[in-house]
Formats: sequence, C-alpha cells, structure tokens
Amino acid sequence: MLKSKTFMKKTRSGGVMKIVREHYLRDDIWCGSEICTECKQESPVLQRDPSIESNLCSYPHYVIPDTNVVLHQIDVLEDPVIRNVIILQTVLQEVRHRSAPVYKRLKDIIHEQEKHFYTFTNEHHRETFIEREPGESANDRNDRAIRVAAKWYGQHLEKAESEADALKVVLLTNDLGNKQKAEESSLLVYRCEEYIKSLIGNPELVDRLLLFTPLPFLCAFHLHDITSSKVLFPEHLPLSRIQAGIKSGTFLQGTFRASRDNYLEATVFVQGEGEDSTEVLIQGLQNLNRAVYQDVVAVQLYPRNQWLAPSSVMLQDEGAAKDDNEEDKEEEDEEKSVTEAARKPTGKVVGIIKRNWRPFCGMLNLSQIKESTRHLFTPADRRIPRIRIETRQAATLAGQRIMVAIDGWPKHSRYPNGHFVRSLGNAGDKETEQMVLLLEHDVPHQAFSQAVLSSLPKMPWAITPEDMVRREDLRHLSVCSVDPPGCTDIDDALHCRELDNGNVEVGVHIADVSHFIRPCNAMDKEAANRGTTVYLCGKRIDMVPELLSSNLCSLRSNVERLAFSCIWEMNHKAEIIKTRFTKTVINSKASLTYAEAQMRIDDTTKNDDITKSLRGLNKLAKVLKRQRIEKGALTLSSLEVRFHIDSETHDPIDLQTKELMETNSMVEEFMLLANISVAQKIYDEFPDCAMLRKHPAPPPSNYDILLKAAKSKDVEIHTDSAKALADSLDMARVDGFPYFNTLLRILATRCMMQAVYFCSGMDTDFHHYGLASAIYTHFTSPIRRYADIIVHRLLAVAIEADSTYPDLMDKQKQSALSTNLNYRHKMSQYAQRASVAFHTQLFFKSRGILNEEGFVLFVRKNAIIVLIPKFGLEGTVFFDAKHKATPKLVFDEEGPTLKVEQHTFHIFDMVKVTISLDASNIQHQKIRMSLIEPVVRTISGVSVPAPVVEPQAKKPKLDR
Amino acid sequence: MATVQVSEAEKVYILHGIRDDLRVDGRGCEDYRHMEIETDVVSNTDGSAKVTLGHTAVLVGIKADIGKPRPGVPNEGYLEFFVDCSANATPEFEGRGGEELGTELSNTLYKVFNNKHSVDLKSLCISAGEHCWVLYVDVLLLQCDGNLYDAISVAIKAALFNTKIPKVHISADEEGGKEIELSDDPYDCMRLDVENVPCIVTLCKVGHRHVVDVTLQEKACSVASLIISVTHTGTVTCTRKVGGGSLDPESIFEMTEAGKRVGKALHAPLMKLLQQEESLGKTRQKVGFLG
Repeated sequence: MLKSKTFMKKTRSGGVMKIVREHYLRDDIWCGSEICTECKQESPVLQRDPSIESNLCSYPHYVIPDTNVVLHQIDVLEDPVIRNVIILQTVLQEVRHRSAPVYKRLKDIIHEQEKHFYTFTNEHHRETFIEREPGESANDRNDRAIRVAAKWYGQHLEKAESEADALKVVLLTNDLGNKQKAEESSLLVYRCEEYIKSLIGNPELVDRLLLFTPLPFLCAFHLHDITSSKVLFPEHLPLSRIQAGIKSGTFLQGTFRASRDNYLEATVFVQGEGEDSTEVLIQGLQNLNRAVYQDVVAVQLYPRNQWLAPSSVMLQDEGAAKDDNEEDKEEEDEEKSVTEAARKPTGKVVGIIKRNWRPFCGMLNLSQIKESTRHLFTPADRRIPRIRIETRQAATLAGQRIMVAIDGWPKHSRYPNGHFVRSLGNAGDKETEQMVLLLEHDVPHQAFSQAVLSSLPKMPWAITPEDMVRREDLRHLSVCSVDPPGCTDIDDALHCRELDNGNVEVGVHIADVSHFIRPCNAMDKEAANRGTTVYLCGKRIDMVPELLSSNLCSLRSNVERLAFSCIWEMNHKAEIIKTRFTKTVINSKASLTYAEAQMRIDDTTKNDDITKSLRGLNKLAKVLKRQRIEKGALTLSSLEVRFHIDSETHDPIDLQTKELMETNSMVEEFMLLANISVAQKIYDEFPDCAMLRKHPAPPPSNYDILLKAAKSKDVEIHTDSAKALADSLDMARVDGFPYFNTLLRILATRCMMQAVYFCSGMDTDFHHYGLASAIYTHFTSPIRRYADIIVHRLLAVAIEADSTYPDLMDKQKQSALSTNLNYRHKMSQYAQRASVAFHTQLFFKSRGILNEEGFVLFVRKNAIIVLIPKFGLEGTVFFDAKHKATPKLVFDEEGPTLKVEQHTFHIFDMVKVTISLDASNIQHQKIRMSLIEPVVRTISGVSVPAPVVEPQAKKPKLDR
Repeated sequence: MATVQVSEAEKVYILHGIRDDLRVDGRGCEDYRHMEIETDVVSNTDGSAKVTLGHTAVLVGIKADIGKPRPGVPNEGYLEFFVDCSANATPEFEGRGGEELGTELSNTLYKVFNNKHSVDLKSLCISAGEHCWVLYVDVLLLQCDGNLYDAISVAIKAALFNTKIPKVHISADEEGGKEIELSDDPYDCMRLDVENVPCIVTLCKVGHRHVVDVTLQEKACSVASLIISVTHTGTVTCTRKVGGGSLDPESIFEMTEAGKRVGKALHAPLMKLLQQEESLGKTRQKVGFLG
C-alpha cells in the first residue's frame, strides 16, 4: 500500500520547497515476541517470559518507552536489568533527529542480544501507521503513533495468547498529556520514574534517573522551586538571536576552553579565516555564564578599555558543598594593576550554540549533612566545574571513581545538575584508574559491537584459490619478522636475497589489512573512529578486533598470510634501482625479537637463509642510515621506560629504560624507506587525495631554550637547518659529563613540532623535518593505525589491485579523516603517558622513599624541573610552597638561573632528590620530590619544606 | 496547431449542420463537449488539475515560491505562466515545434490575468517590497483536439482552487534582519479566492454562425475566432481575435454576447463541482492518469 508523506522545507536560498516521499506500508512486519504464533518470524527477540519484577506491574510485560524517556534515561536503559523493550521506529527516528550520541548508544543496546530490545517498524506497519491530522503538531502526531502502536501490541499479544498469564505492554512516558490520552484509550502507562522506582531489588537504578524533570511536570509541580531561588547567571540568548548576532558581527563564535589552573577564567578560541584566529579571555562566573569546557559558545567582546590580562593566580574551586547562594568572594580580588600590553581581548558568554557535554569521571565530595542526598561531584579534569548530583548511595560511592553526566545548568544554580551514570570502581585500583584514563582521553575502548564483529571473516579462514590467482606467491622466500618481545600484532616482515645480476632484492611485507576491512562497513567505520591502537602499560586497546590484529593479519611465523609488499632491487650501495608494489602471499619463517635477531647476526656459526637475509638487511640498513643522517635527519633522544610487570599481581616491580639495538634501527630503516617509496607513489598517482604525513620545521623561537642551555656550557648549537642542528648536536660534548649530549637531545626534542597527517590536496608543504624527507606517509602498521589502511587502499588502487570508492577520492572527507586521526593519535599519546605516570606512582608506592640523582632540565621563576634518568621521571621542585615562608628567589631570564638564598641553580646542574608518593589527594596522587643536595637554607636556618612535585612523567617522543 | 484535412464536401456538410444548429457530433452551437476535471493529481505541486475536454487533455501544476515583488507594485505577488506543448499531444510539437504555440498561449494567459480582480494578488504579499509569493502556473498539453484555450483556462481555475500555499510568518530581530519562518504543520496553509478567476470561451465563426468548443474538423472550416475571457458575473476581462479571416463589428458584438452567456453558464457548475470534490477530502478516489 502506498502513501505519500508530504512536508515543506525552506531551502538555503530562502525559497520554499515541497517534498513528497513515497511511503509504503506492509503487512509482513512481525511483532518480535516469542509468544506470538501469528507472526511468521524466524528468530523472535522478545522473550516468552520477561522476568522483571515490579511493584506496579506484577504481570509479565514488555516495555515501550517514548522518545523523551529514551533521550533522557538512556543510562537507565543501558542497565542489564532492563530487558525486553520495544523500541518503536517513531521513537528511533526522533532520537536520531534529536541527539546523535544517544542514538548511537540506543543502536548499540539494540544490537546487544542479551538485552532483548526489539525495533518495531511501526511507521511501515499497515495497522499502526497514522497520518498527521489537521491541527496536529509533529510531536502530537508522534505521540499518537506511539500510543497506536502500543495499543496494537496489546491487542496483538492478547490474540496470540494461549497461556493463562497474559503478557502485556507497558508504555513509559513522562509527558502528562500523552499519559492522560493513553489512559483514556485504556493503555497501561506509567511515568518513567514511577516505573523504575517500582522495580524490586534494583535501588541503584533510581540514581541513574535524570534529575531534570521534563517541562510539563516542571510547570505542574516545581514552579515554586524556580521562583524562590535567586538568579545567579544572565539568561542565555536564543539561538536565532545568536545567529543573527554572529552574522552581523556583534558576537563571536568559538570553542570554550576553561583554564586548568583558575576556575574563574577561560578563553574562547575563535577560529578565523586562515591564520587569523583569536582568543577571547573570559573572567568571572557571571561572564563565564555556565559554559562548560569544549562547548561551542557565542561571546560578546567588551570595549577595549575593559580588557583584562589573564591572571597568574592559581585558583581551585574549593567551595563547600553547601548551598549555592553562598557566593565566593575570592572572585573579586584580582590584581587590577596590569600593564596595557598584557591586556587581551576580553568578553562574556552570551549564549551556548552547542553543548559538548559527555559523562565525566571523578569523585564524590560527601555533603556535610549526613542525611542529605545532594552531593557535589568533583571531576578529574580540573577544567570541568563541579556537578551537583542526587544519590542515596553516597556512602558506597565515596572513595570510588564514578561517572556523572550533566543534565542542565539552571540560571539560579551555582553548579550544574547531573546524575550518576556508573561506578568505575575504587579509586587507586589499577582497573579503575585505567578506565578513568581511557575515558578522560576520549579513547574508544568498548568491546566491538555485534555489527563490527559480523563483518569479520568466518573462521576457519584460509586463503582461497581466487586470492592466490590475484596475488604473487612469495611463500618460498625466507621472510622473517623482528619485533619487540611479546608482540602479537606483527604487521611487518622483511626479506633480502642476492640476485643473479649481483644486486640485492629487499622486500618489506606489510599485513594486508585492507583485504579484510572493506570500505564503509561497520568495522571500517569503527576503525576510522578509533584511528589507532592504544598501548598502555600492560594493556592494549585494539583498533581492529583481535581476530584480525593478533591472528589473520598478524604475520606470524609458519602460517600463510596475505601481505602487501614493497620490493626493491638495490645495489650494494643501497641505491634503489627498481621499486614495485604488489599484493602477495607470504609464509614467514621466523618471528624474532630484536635481541634474537641481533644474536643471529652476531653468531658467526649460523649460516642459514634467515640469518643471511638478516645480515644483508643489516648491512644495507647501516648504509641507508648513514645516507639519511647525511641528508640531515635528526636523531633525538627521549627516555623510554619499560616496566617489569609482576605476572600475577600485575604490579610494576622494576623499571628499565629501553635499550636500543642495531636490529631496532635495521627494521626502522626499511620501514622508513617503504613509507617514503609509498608516499611518492600515491602522491604521483593521486596528487589531490593522497594521505601523507608531514613534520613542519619549528619556528626559530622554539629553539631559544635549547640555545640558552647549550650556551651555559659553552657549546654552540646551529639551528638554521635540520642538518646543521643534527651536526652540532653530534659535536656537543662536555668532558666529564657523558650524559650532557643525551640531555641536550631531550631538550631538542621538546623544541619540535607535532607531526601530522594531512590530505595532499589541502596543503602545499609536505616536508618531514625530522626525517629530512621531502615526502612521507604511514604504510607499515595498518593493524594499529588507520592512516595506513587508507594508504594501503590508495596504493592498491594505484597498482590496480583493488577498486576505489568515492570517499577515498574526496579531499574534504580525507581532510576530515586526518583531523580525527591526528586527534586520536594525540589523545592516545597522552593516555600512554598518563598510564606510565600512574605506573610510576604504583612503583614508588611499593618502593617507599628513594633518594636519586637527577639533572636540572629547566629553570623556572619559582621552581626547577628535575629529570631522573634512571626512571625517566621528570618533576617540578617548587620553592614557594603554600602557607610557608618563601625563601628569597632571584630569577635571571638570561641564564636562565634561579638564585635561592645563597645557591644558584643552572640548567644541567646535578641534584639529589628524595622521591616519595603523595597520596593526600586520592584523585590527584602526586610524586613528591624534595631536594637533598645542594642543601638550600632559609634565613632562619630551616631547610626548605619538602617541595612538591607534580607527576609529570612526560616523555614526548619525537613521533615519526 | 494540429490540423486536419477536410474535403470540400465535408466542409459543406459541417457548414450546413452548423447553420441548422446541429453539429457533427450532435451538439448545438453553444454546447461544450463532455468535460472531466480532477484536482490534486500531482503531489509535488502546491496545486494541480487535469482537464479533459473531448479528446483535448491539459494538465496544470502550480508551484508557489518566495520571490521579490515587482518594483511597481511592492505589495502584490504575481503569477507566471508557462505552456509546454509536449510532443505527446501531437507529433508536430516535436523538437521546437510547439514553442510558438506555447508562447502564444502563455501570452494570452498573461493578458487574461492582467487585472486586479481575477486573483487577489495582495494576498500573495508576505512583506511589502521584500517578499511575496510567486505562483508559477505550468500548463502541459497532453493531447490536442481543439479548443485549447477553454480547456487550459478551466484547468487553471481548478488548479488555483486546489492550490495550498504554506503559511509563513516573518520574525524580525532587533538587528533588522528578517527571517521567514515556515509553519511546520502541512495542513496550515492559505487558500486562494478563485471566485473571480475568468474562464476563456473561444467562439469560432463558421459560415454565418459562431460555435463554441470547436473540434479540429470544425476549426478547419472556420476563418476567424474570438477569444473572450469571462468572469462568473459576465465581465469580460480580455478579448482577442485569432485566425486569418476578418469579423464584421456586428458579429463581434453577437459573439461577445454569446461568449458572456456561455461563460456565465460555465462558471456555476465548475465551482460546484470543485467544491464537491474538495468536500470529499481523503475519502476521494483518485483517478490519476491511468483511470
């Protein structure tokens, strides 16, 4: 049966368009219940016996939530207790329209088999489709559609009923009008809160309910609440006025970035055209006007004479969890005496364009009033304001890491209102902290959804004859892989053999992940979103399901695997004579670790094929490396730490800085070579849409700190070019100070820019500064990086081994993808560092107090930053502790040096410090460092109170 | 225009018949052929109608769009006419064959509607001088069997009657920028008053008499015809003479009188029919093009 749906739409140019869609109704849409005999369904989703116990509904029943219930109570729906729910298509469409994140979560629930959520396409069902009537608003029509569907279900199940116990459907709605109308048509209908509260044995679900009361109820019951409170914040402007204001230039649109150090200060980053982006300073609660970190806001600039300078004071919101009306007074005492130059454009937030709220991790501050159910929640991220939540299990939650979602921020409330989402576990536990770390760095870490897993190849998997026809058979070659110990996702393997003409053939074989991950399927989308595999201490968050990453794609030894190979013919001077790319089948003869490979090379008694191949590779790699360094590639240093993890408790027992062997650099050289060759090939073939990686040269001012530091030891560093820098770093040596060169390289690393992915059609500067290469990309790790998969696809199209698809050739989409990959990459590095920092803390917790030697890496106004090479640990030693007498500090910017009383600290000074764990703030545990040598005495003769060190086990590695 | 060849004997037969007020198909001189009207036949227009008159078939679709009022009349909307002579109607229209006829027809339509009374143009104004509704009247000839003008005019009247223009309101902000907001209820729309929309009556001089609604054969016997657009009150809004022959003033007067008479008689049943169809609402059985 054909119906047509008609609606009017305004076009971009201001015209009006009438759009007519055909809408087909069917009579073969099944109800999805096991109990039904009438419907010819193959695998019913809804169970025969929905076992959920409720005071309100003592009979077995299915639940139908309406749109607002889904939107607001998705946290409740996600709970494993809630099962056998019918999601109507009307609801699904409305949710999709209103909130993409909730829609995704809902889809995930529906895919989960244990949840027994059934999507009923009521809009296409002959008996439940309704047309909008004159005078009916779209919402009313949808509500009616929901009621009609619920009614139909009721009657349908009744008809199919054979047993005595009648199955019923319960409609959940928070809309008063809808509820009334549903009752009129004799449906079973409850408010969501009523129903959840009636569930037996699940009191914690109530906490998950959203605090926010939908509008009709708000008006009906809580009117006095609003009027009684005083208004703290100015009203947000409506969106239409904001848009008009932005158009006319009175408002600016930007991303809100709260300050980490001062809760009363924030900046709004206004993206301008090209380079000219500005930052607007916002100060004071009123001006911040309820904006939360990462929101997109509209700001209004103040006149120039009211501009302020950013304050240098650290302010943490310590306000007690009492009442909102108690205003903080600190707010006003800001230093008003600022120089004209330091003033920045200052403004106020007038409206919110888009909220960017997500559930936040943090801990509960218990209310002082014992019986109170309202508590303040302190997020782990200092940039997020504290959130007021209501819970009756505060006693249990205290000391746990929990997640809280913000529901709203009324203008009379000092803090936003939120609700409890879930508990992550006890603070300080390894599991919990790891979870916090992943959530706070926005690392997608959920198990792969059913949709993703369904796009995996069926096991047992084998190479088909069709594959063999299309691929080159290289199984006879003695290919081997060299990786760190314990590596299960082997994505590269190498071979090398002498040719008859005296030249050498070298092959780099990369796992052919793009063979398994086809464009635009669920797995591809998931991988594109994840962007990269994240390696934490003792845990790996895969980008692709394990079956691929550790099995089908992993080039393990003695199994046949599909590979994408890059094969060069070289002469003995490592000059490339011929390059070719081809899809192959390989059979790795050995998976070695770096150490094993090194041993084979060194062991002169071994002379098998693999060893010979390794020796050949090693020889060529040395030549390649020398050539590269001659061209000006940088060798920079960073301390990488490995933890020895106890196999049972998984606690770190020892740590060790990574050792580099010849074989490390051997593998690296060939990977670089493959990446460069591939980059050239895909750029030649697709100049507009090649995915490349660039590393911009740092601006000269970045080197200031390095130059000053070197100068203090009378060493000259040239920074005019990468080559000059590399050479002068090689030359920099100080007698009797062997560690100096490493320290200098660490400093040089910090001067560098971040390497980024980009689409060749969107940029003109392709240069990779660190590698001194004119062009570069990532090709060699498709198992753990999504960029490599794109590069594989491009290359496959270039050699006509695979077909293309529209998104691959769309430079806008490519560019958007690279933005996501860069973001995921950055976040994964932060997460990695945070994980190391946490493990360092665990390590020191078990070790107690240690005395170690370290070097001064930086000198600041009131502190020195100390690096302890043994642990790769870096920390700040402050000299001006709170509430204590500050010693006399003289800072000289030229040196830079810091004179504390009699002693002057220079860069690279050797100091001795005591390291211990400061667990006084459980949410932000710190490593405390205090100076032992040289002893700095205050005037009164008391040694400086143990200065506090922030846990900064930062090891920014020059990321290639 | 599609032509048929008529032999001398046939001509005499037709002429004599008309002289005696009995036409070849049995009609009198002022009788129309069988006419069928259906409205709302094209769902993605704002108003549409299909009219068949004998074997002549025309389809009219009306699209409402927002435009800028003409500078001379800032508080009025306007109508645009376009006639498409599809090659379906007759093979002569193939390529650019129908262009001339199309232009002639649409020019006539502009003339017919070029007065204040036929459609209330002020009601099409959204904001004076800035926005108004423009009604694009697209006429498609599906089949030609004579008397195109009359059929088109009836179809336009029916389509205008059927037209539903979405209601809009202007929201102004303090910056002076005006936004047009569209009502999201598809039923919330404006209807046009078509009471005064004229119908065209074409009178053909055949021999000493004149006939309405000529077939192609009759047309071949005629030398000149007069197009008269008449409102329901009998007011003539436009007259035009077409054809190679000449008309003496007396017969023009006679023809105008006849046209008024026929036109008045045409309006009443047409409006009744349209209202009747409208009142059926959703229960109406749609016939469409295959019925």
